[in-house]
Amino acid sequence: MRIIYTDVLVVGGGLAGLRAAVGARRRGHDVIILSLVPPKRSHSAAAQGGMQASLGNTVKGEGDNEDVHFEDTVRGSDWGCDQDVARLFVHTAPQAVRELAAWGVPWNRIKAGDREVIMDGKRVTLTEGQAAHGLIAARDFGGTKKWRTCYVSDGTGHAMLYAVSDQAVAESIPVHERMEALALIHEGGRCHGAVVRNLVSGELTAYVAKATCIATGGFGRIYRVTSNAVINEGIGAAIALETGAACLGNMEAVQFHPTTIFPAGILVTEGCRGDGGLLKDAAGHRFMPDYEPEKKELASRDVVSRRMEEHIRAGHGVKSRFGEHLWLDITLLGAAHIDGKLREVKEICQHFLGIDPSRDLIPVRPAQHYSMGGIRTDARGHARGLKGLFACGEAACWDLHGFNRLGGNSVAETVVAGMIVGENMADFVESAAGELQVSTALVRECLDAEQAKLDTLLHGNGTESGAELMRRMQDIMTDKVGIFRTGELLHSAVEELQGLLVRSRRIGLRTRRPGANPELVTAYRVQKMLKLALCVAYGALQRTESRGAHFREDYPRRDDASWLKRTLATWHDDFQTLPTLDYEALDVTAMELPPGWRGYGARNAIEHPATAGRAAEISAIRSAFGHADRFTVQQALMPFDHLIPSRFRGRNARLGETS
Amino acid sequence: MDSSFDSSGIARPLAPVRPLPEAAARSAQAVQVRTRKSRWPARLDLLQSASGLFLALFLVGHMFFVSSILISKEAFYAVARFFEGAYFLAEPRPWLVSGVVGVVLTVFVAHAWLAMRKFPANFRQYKVFAEHKAQLRHGDTGLWWIQLWTGFALFFLGTVHLYGMLTQPELIGPYESADRIWTGNMWPLYLLLLFAVEIHGSIGLYRLALKWGWLEGRDPAATRRRLRAAKTAFSVFFLGLGLASLLAYVQLGIAHADKAGERYVPQRASAVKLGELEFALSRRPGG
Amino acid sequence: MKKNAVSSGHRALTLRILRSSPTEGVAPHWQDFHLEEAEGMTLFIALNEVRETLDPALQFDFVCRAGICGSCGMLINGKPGLACRSLTRDLDPLITLAPLPVFELIGDLSVNTGKWMRGTAERLETWVHSSQEADLTALEAPMEPELAEAIYELDRCIECGCCVAGCGTLRMREEFVGAIGLNKIARFRLDPRDERSDDDFYQLIGDDTGVFGCMSLLACQDVCPKGLPLQTQIAFLRRKMVASGL
Ligand SMILES: Cc1cc2nc3c(=O)[nH]c(=O)nc-3n(C[C@H](O)[C@H](O)[C@H](O)COP(=O)(O)OP(=O)(O)OC[C@H]3O[C@@H](n4cnc5c(N)ncnc54)[C@H](O)[C@@H]3O)c2cc1C
Ligand code: HEM
Repeated sequence: MRIIYTDVLVVGGGLAGLRAAVGARRRGHDVIILSLVPPKRSHSAAAQGGMQASLGNTVKGEGDNEDVHFEDTVRGSDWGCDQDVARLFVHTAPQAVRELAAWGVPWNRIKAGDREVIMDGKRVTLTEGQAAHGLIAARDFGGTKKWRTCYVSDGTGHAMLYAVSDQAVAESIPVHERMEALALIHEGGRCHGAVVRNLVSGELTAYVAKATCIATGGFGRIYRVTSNAVINEGIGAAIALETGAACLGNMEAVQFHPTTIFPAGILVTEGCRGDGGLLKDAAGHRFMPDYEPEKKELASRDVVSRRMEEHIRAGHGVKSRFGEHLWLDITLLGAAHIDGKLREVKEICQHFLGIDPSRDLIPVRPAQHYSMGGIRTDARGHARGLKGLFACGEAACWDLHGFNRLGGNSVAETVVAGMIVGENMADFVESAAGELQVSTALVRECLDAEQAKLDTLLHGNGTESGAELMRRMQDIMTDKVGIFRTGELLHSAVEELQGLLVRSRRIGLRTRRPGANPELVTAYRVQKMLKLALCVAYGALQRTESRGAHFREDYPRRDDASWLKRTLATWHDDFQTLPTLDYEALDVTAMELPPGWRGYGARNAIEHPATAGRAAEISAIRSAFGHADRFTVQQALMPFDHLIPSRFRGRNARLGETS
Repeated sequence: MDSSFDSSGIARPLAPVRPLPEAAARSAQAVQVRTRKSRWPARLDLLQSASGLFLALFLVGHMFFVSSILISKEAFYAVARFFEGAYFLAEPRPWLVSGVVGVVLTVFVAHAWLAMRKFPANFRQYKVFAEHKAQLRHGDTGLWWIQLWTGFALFFLGTVHLYGMLTQPELIGPYESADRIWTGNMWPLYLLLLFAVEIHGSIGLYRLALKWGWLEGRDPAATRRRLRAAKTAFSVFFLGLGLASLLAYVQLGIAHADKAGERYVPQRASAVKLGELEFALSRRPGG
Repeated sequence: MKKNAVSSGHRALTLRILRSSPTEGVAPHWQDFHLEEAEGMTLFIALNEVRETLDPALQFDFVCRAGICGSCGMLINGKPGLACRSLTRDLDPLITLAPLPVFELIGDLSVNTGKWMRGTAERLETWVHSSQEADLTALEAPMEPELAEAIYELDRCIECGCCVAGCGTLRMREEFVGAIGLNKIARFRLDPRDERSDDDFYQLIGDDTGVFGCMSLLACQDVCPKGLPLQTQIAFLRRKMVASGL
């Protein structure tokens, strides 16, 4: 029996996991990171466009601050997010950007003086002030009032991931690569680590830890058409679900990105539109202003994706042998801009489409992109239902994003949550509750149970093919649990998925080698992924309203009266074929920003009974405070300071803001 | 073989390794106390290039001087005497030539010694590289392999030639050289030497430019293409010049075969042109 | 010619793959797989098709499948490259695929680049060395925009290992840091936030396993999928390191 003991076990070597690990390590604890792949290959590297933080350096970001970022985020989430968390996040994001700057991320910088940009299809000259020269620049992104997205050309995630990963090397944090967490070791509501499979040798090892953190990213691969990496299969979320103790939040909230190249599904960044790119239809007509006169191409992603699909349905799509698509036009940005600030986009177009985006239009269509749902945690990142288990990054439902996340808020979340969870894990490990009390009998039991499951797959007499089930699941999800959802489609999806889940218990393998065996990997993963798919589909079926990215054609209105609540899915025993759903109500009376219109998209929400009262309360507080500074007012509306780890308190300095 | 030199510890100032205080050791990522690295690798690298450059430049000059035979016997004769100091000393002194050859030979040996560090050190390395080259089919990788083999050939070819010049400097002249080449059966060696050294030298110069980033300009890729063209032009030009000169010697050698061993004495007519040097020239040693 | 063949019909492709499984003692041997080419097919699609329909045990690594993460470096017809963004229509119908050399072989087309890269990161200390901790609430230190872009230019390396596999020097002498290592040093040397001096860098790369070991074969430059300016950076470092070593 192989057991490895450590203070902190971080499952996942993406931005979130690495940053959390560095935080705990700097507090003096032993940390081990597990990853399916070398950490720098994690999908965080694929983030192109940028990271939001209200530095307010650029002229188009003047006047930006935590308050504006907070409101954009809450509106973006369609009021589904946890507002405490959103506050905590917008407060810490500028520190995260600045920390990354100190760690070597070559953020694009502001050049004082005049500069031509494309806005709304027209050339505009912006003049940056002398004082801002050399400070971190920002570009425009969808759903934001200010230009707030800090970027490194269009390799932002890459630059961030490399910097943070190198810090982990500097801290001598061991990363055990090609290791996959298969199950969590837990008992009596306390998590003690994970059973981990070596993907090369097939050997199982128990990692026993005082604190375990899941940072395994999204689960886009339950869909066929997705911008996600092939390793984004959500196993981290699934093993938390399988504990029966922890729960997954808002799994039906799945984001579709408007611009992935057609048909490969490879993303081209929102920065294309942020920098002035336009969406066009078969006739070459720029159609977004027809639907969204205010934000046009830069409405939030859920809205733009929906409008695009709507436009295709109305018969304006470009027909091709693979189906229909629309055009993304960035030719107007000019070759120089594309060569400098959209290089990855250019490479992708060259290699996958054989076109030059400075001369040709890019064929695009929305595809699955981001999982707002995940392991439900509190604002400290501690998983609900399982002490000693933390989660951060895309794998978590910390609930910064509610039902739609803003572009650029995700990589920001990974690092911010990593900073916060790293500290909180250290606190936990140092506390009495963090003491390790685990019997080797339990560890053996968990190891044996996992080994038995693998042996059943390897040596059993099942006949189903894992690859086949996987394909079928992905088709169902893309065809029936996509951008436009209806009760009927969802119902049939849930039924079919249940059938697949049952069949997945009888998978048989052609290759019976226990070590490196891709067929075996597909087999045990699809068993877990089907559970996630069911959480998504079943959650979507139950949620009879439209909110953010979850759009029900049969229930097109946002229904705050009955649905201002978070879905919580649990899976108590292995013979269930559906998750148990519970709901966690959002407290309108504690909100800093009560529900209203987002400023784009439909304007037809059904109001929550408490909204008006809270709105009145807020205006009363605001007028009572008169000329007090914004911090004082905010404090009175929704205090959140207690949630900030001590080292990240303090006010963020900004150009031209005296505090 | 390749790194034996730096591990031999020559001129390595051994800084005492002081343990850092606990706290400092943890935080001080930047200031780690280590044994200071030897400076020799830097020097040797520079010397390798400098010696190669010197030899290549020498080669260019050498080729032009030798090719004076294409103009006339007298021209070559004059050049040969020039190097014996005939134009500024009281009388020509062949040991001057020996001196020059000595310097070249020293640089040659030094260069060979330095470059040998880059040779495959054992059969495994040799095989790996050969396979790699065959698989990759990459231009500059192939060029290096050529450089390696031509360099290896130069060990022998160059040494024989240089040794001859070192020991018999007075036997450089139209007939003397032609006889050596034809009657003395040196032409096969010279033919090989010519190919080896021209190809080796041109690739070497090309590599030097890339290695040190000379002439990079705004578009290094374009520069590299141009350098490659220049390298080929260099090879072709000097091979042509060298072959023509060698042919001239061979012809002269055949014509002079029955009088082999006879020394060349410039004709009056040309000696007149040389004016006041006539006297000096008539007193050449052994003449 | 090739293009026509594609648009008119579907070519029959042969993937000739160097199979092996060190853990099971299966020595390297070639195996052919036949499949039909599809429109816009990349090696990512082709290999997955082989795995799904012909041999579920075939090992290879893909992550982002968009040319960004660097996982899928392999020898494609003998040349290192990223499989995910190699369109089959640009290749002859017989395609040979072999794992990258130098790196520890895991099996078939899968190699352990991660271990090698971590080793390089530790050996060359590829992180910003700074003696003070940044004040996170204060304004960031300004940097010239052009400098930031120049750093990013070198920061674009995706550690795919193509330059390592393409380097004849490194293949002969595996202790050589390779273009990737030298590029990293160039990147941190350029970064004003890194307080290390040329003398410090000389400590790391001032010998024949470092910059002086480079024989300027330049396959690194020619195979780099990101088009990094490796040739000029290595030359630049060589000048700096000679200056600091003399
Ligand atoms: C194409 C694309 C572009 C994007 N662009 C942007 C953008 O411009 N701005 C923005 O804000 N967001 C963007 N996003 C979203 C953002 O990149 C991701 O949400 C974020 O990077 C996720 O980071 P993470 O650390 O949570 O997970 P990841 O980076 O996905 O890392 C997950 C880690 O977990 C490991 N892992 C997974 N399962 C297991 C297991 N079972 N056992 C052990 N280890 C495991 C993996 O090996 C990996 O190391 C983009 C996303 C995509 C797909
Ligand atoms: C015994 C004789 C010789 C041997 C064994 C030899 C060998 C080599 C080798 C192996 C290299 C490649 C070194 C590397 O890749 O770093 C080289 C480089 C070079 N050689 Fe020679 N060579 C010899 C003679 C000459 C001569 C006669 C010339 C003059 C024409 C010459 C000019 C050069 C030049 C210019 C270089 C490039 C230097 C550099 O890369 O730093 N070599 N030599």
